[in-house]
Amino acid sequence: MKEKLLIWIAVLIVSVFMGTIFWLSGCAPSAEETAFETSAVQETEAETAEAKESVVEKVAITYWHTMSDAEEVALKKVIEMFEEQYPNIKIEPTRVAYDDFKPALLTGIAGEVVPDTARLDIIWVPEFAEMGALVALDKEMEGFDEIIANTYPGPTSTNFWKGHYYGLPQDTNTQVLVWNKQMFKEAGLSEPPQTIDEFVEYATLLSNPDEEVYGYTMGGTYFWAPAPIFYAMGGEITDPEITTATGYINGEKSVAAYQLLVDMYKDGSLSPYVLGGGGVGAFEGLATSKYAMIIEDPWAYPILKSDYPEFEVNFTLVPKGPDGTTSSVVGGQNVVIFEGSQHKDEAIEWAKFLLSEEAQLTIGETGAIPTLTTVQGNERLPEYYDVFMEQLKTAKARLPHPKWSEIDNVLNNAFQYMLRGEKTVQQALDDAAEEINKLIVEG
Amino acid sequence: MLITKEEKTFRIITYVLLIFGVVITLLPFLYMISVSFKSQIYTFEYPPRLIPRNPTLENYINALSKDLFGRNFLNSLFVATATTISTVFISALMAYAFSRMQFPGKEVLFYILLLGMMIPPVMLIIPQFIIAKYLHLLNSLWGLIVVYVAVTLSMQTFLLRSFFETIPRELEEAVLVDGGSNWVIFTKVILPLSKPGLSVVAIFTFLYAWDEFPWAHVAIRESSRRTLPVAIALFQNQYLTQWGLVFAATTVASIPVIIVFIIFQRYFIQGFVTTGLRR
Amino acid sequence: MKVGNEILNKSFFKKILKSKGAYFLLLPGMGLFLTFILFPLIYSLRMSFYKWNIVNPGSSEFVGFSNYVKVINDPIFIRAAFNTIVYALMTVPGQILFALMVAILLEQKIRGRTFFRVAFYITVITSWVIVTLVFEYLFSGQAGLVNFVLKDVLHLVNEKIMWLANPILVMIPLNLLGIWKGVGWSAIIFLAALQNIPPELYEAAIIDGAGIWQKITKITLPLIRPTLVFLVVVLTIGAFNVYISGLLMTDGGNPLDLSHFILTLMYKKTFTYLDFGYGSATSYLLAAFIFMISVIQIKLLRRRVEY
Repeated sequence: MKEKLLIWIAVLIVSVFMGTIFWLSGCAPSAEETAFETSAVQETEAETAEAKESVVEKVAITYWHTMSDAEEVALKKVIEMFEEQYPNIKIEPTRVAYDDFKPALLTGIAGEVVPDTARLDIIWVPEFAEMGALVALDKEMEGFDEIIANTYPGPTSTNFWKGHYYGLPQDTNTQVLVWNKQMFKEAGLSEPPQTIDEFVEYATLLSNPDEEVYGYTMGGTYFWAPAPIFYAMGGEITDPEITTATGYINGEKSVAAYQLLVDMYKDGSLSPYVLGGGGVGAFEGLATSKYAMIIEDPWAYPILKSDYPEFEVNFTLVPKGPDGTTSSVVGGQNVVIFEGSQHKDEAIEWAKFLLSEEAQLTIGETGAIPTLTTVQGNERLPEYYDVFMEQLKTAKARLPHPKWSEIDNVLNNAFQYMLRGEKTVQQALDDAAEEINKLIVEG
Repeated sequence: MLITKEEKTFRIITYVLLIFGVVITLLPFLYMISVSFKSQIYTFEYPPRLIPRNPTLENYINALSKDLFGRNFLNSLFVATATTISTVFISALMAYAFSRMQFPGKEVLFYILLLGMMIPPVMLIIPQFIIAKYLHLLNSLWGLIVVYVAVTLSMQTFLLRSFFETIPRELEEAVLVDGGSNWVIFTKVILPLSKPGLSVVAIFTFLYAWDEFPWAHVAIRESSRRTLPVAIALFQNQYLTQWGLVFAATTVASIPVIIVFIIFQRYFIQGFVTTGLRR
Repeated sequence: MKVGNEILNKSFFKKILKSKGAYFLLLPGMGLFLTFILFPLIYSLRMSFYKWNIVNPGSSEFVGFSNYVKVINDPIFIRAAFNTIVYALMTVPGQILFALMVAILLEQKIRGRTFFRVAFYITVITSWVIVTLVFEYLFSGQAGLVNFVLKDVLHLVNEKIMWLANPILVMIPLNLLGIWKGVGWSAIIFLAALQNIPPELYEAAIIDGAGIWQKITKITLPLIRPTLVFLVVVLTIGAFNVYISGLLMTDGGNPLDLSHFILTLMYKKTFTYLDFGYGSATSYLLAAFIFMISVIQIKLLRRRVEY
């Protein structure tokens, strides 16, 4: 009977399938069972790889990051230096795309397969710390205080959550004003704006909405974009202890900051495409004299240089607010150690090494600004860093809070409501304050 | 062949419509190819140009010379081929059971199977990851294959069942009268007559396994075992996406999928002619 | 045939024994399915009843149906569901109609058939990311081709339209993209299904003096109905799972979280806001809804096949 044959084939497939699984699993099921319940037992690919090669005494430390090609080359050098100094440790870097980084980490955490160390965007650190996924470095790391004593306070503050530091600032960045000298000249201006009033005045002067030429543009309405102006105007999201947003985000100075941008939008000196909707990109517009000013991070330099070699890139500090101080927003990434790591001591050595002057300079040469104050002005760093490092002295970090992503969304929507004229600035920020309060309490 | 006047006009309309359709469908693809030959500065120029000025091979050279591009390509090829073969085989067996055999629980099982198509795959990733970990399938291409087969199985079985159902039952009755079994029906009637259907399953399974990103992204950590979509995603970075590179790599990546399609679309021909049943 | 008691006696168990052949055919597939789909499905169903703690699932807090209540009372979810349903209502018939047309055209004896087939398949293989970019580019406010044609060529509008910044207008490119991207896929399936129609039927119809329209409605459609059922169900599922195009074109629901699809919202809640309970509850609501629709579609369309 042919049906029998069919049955045999089915059996064969199943056994091949099961066989493959067991072959792949390789080891005894008892080991798996124990791993199932105890969250303490961690496993990294490093280990699996190591187990196969066996007997090598080296400890492998995994390090996940979102670096660019150029940074990756520098990282390789840093790893070589480190391994020379610590012959018992091997660093295994893995590059992950920025947008997919969080899902990958979360899946790893759920499956208890985490990297030992990672370079996280500063805004994610409180989130992962709150979750209990990160090691409190001020408790576990010897000499932590000495290390952070030499770093910029803004970037370092982004590691702080509920009384502890959960990371070290690995690199930092901030936004400064980039201006199109040619356009300024044609409008009879020789200097970039020093104060916010000048900024508004120049922007109006430089705009010609009928020709789609605008004095100023931003990348969107999410908080990173208006943040430099917001902080320069003295705006605040919450009190320093992050207990309430009332009287801060809807306080006088914050309202004035957003009002300024809304007014610029209305009189056509801020590009209407700040709403979204596909305008000419900020860099392209700046280089082709569609936009006279943008506020951008240091990556503007290499991008503009490679895409528009003819364009003269000019940076200056964010214009001073009514208090007479300039300010901006802090970006960058922190190096963290995961609770799941089985080699915390070695991981700590690696994190420390990333904060050494040599490592900071090596990676710093490629476009990521060092966080150590001791290397400021070092000749190995590109000259255009100076203005950014100057700006960093007054730049502020966004709210270091686990709910930041949601708070950012609230602020984004509030800004959209204002620009669309659906709410007044005060109204929009009053509502935002209420929503943010709810998020802070929940968190 | 009778050619009426109506048929003639119909044929002309056919060409006109097809050419019109092809222009619409091909434009974005041609645009992708065009960008892949542009250097970064011209990527999003305005007004857009389909024929790049100063075309350059730089993107292709950069993409193909990435350390692991070849390796990633081969990984994808292996995973997609193994997934396709297993899926065609397994789903054909299942579809036959669902379309031609009677057994208790048939309806229930079928709807449970359909359920697999309805839950968003992203939601299953975390538990799949945990299972794969205990089966030691993480960081292995086999881990991709088994999950891909499992994920695509529901749809392909459903698809094949619908194909099997269009095959007239009279043919089987003839076989049964001659004393043939289910197995004979399956291999001698259903399978040969379902070549178009099986080809569709092969084409789409290959494409799915070739393009899948979320699972490959979390399940594989070692760069040398990554598949192509994951490797290409790394061309984008937080501050700057090198679209020229992405488009060049994607263009290269689409070649195997097109080849698979060209091979299998040849079976989109009248099943009846090839079986010889009419002789 | 014996009835009544006999059937009860022979019973379920006997039937199962008798049909072991069928179970063996199902075994390999079902094994995989149970391990990698059904178990994960149940696992994430569990998540939807908890305030899920990802680091230490054991300490998650059971919250009953409150995740579901939260989802249903969320105006953002309602809007996302609305957008998604509209998307399904537009794109499913759109795809089927155009696909059937393309398949019938491709079925003709024409020169360069392989070329045409490949050309239509190209839409299927071009990645979502890239076609979304292209559509975004076409509909971009300042430099888009659509605005150029509407304003400078046809003079239909005086102002450039901000397609992508308007939560309602942005649905137009998204729906068009959905149809555009899906036609090739369905056309291939139709094309394969058309092969099972015996040519004699057409020849007979021609002798009877039937026109092309009649051939399509009287022969083609009834004979490929199982395929049609399949496509309606699968395309509906696909439409409810629309994700990448929405995510890229609206940047995750912008503006004002009004342009979400169910999945973009689910993804944002799960992986950006880390609300796993909300995410899985959304997924299950979605799955339950699609399951209902699919069963109705299958029952409705299937019944008519039998006559």
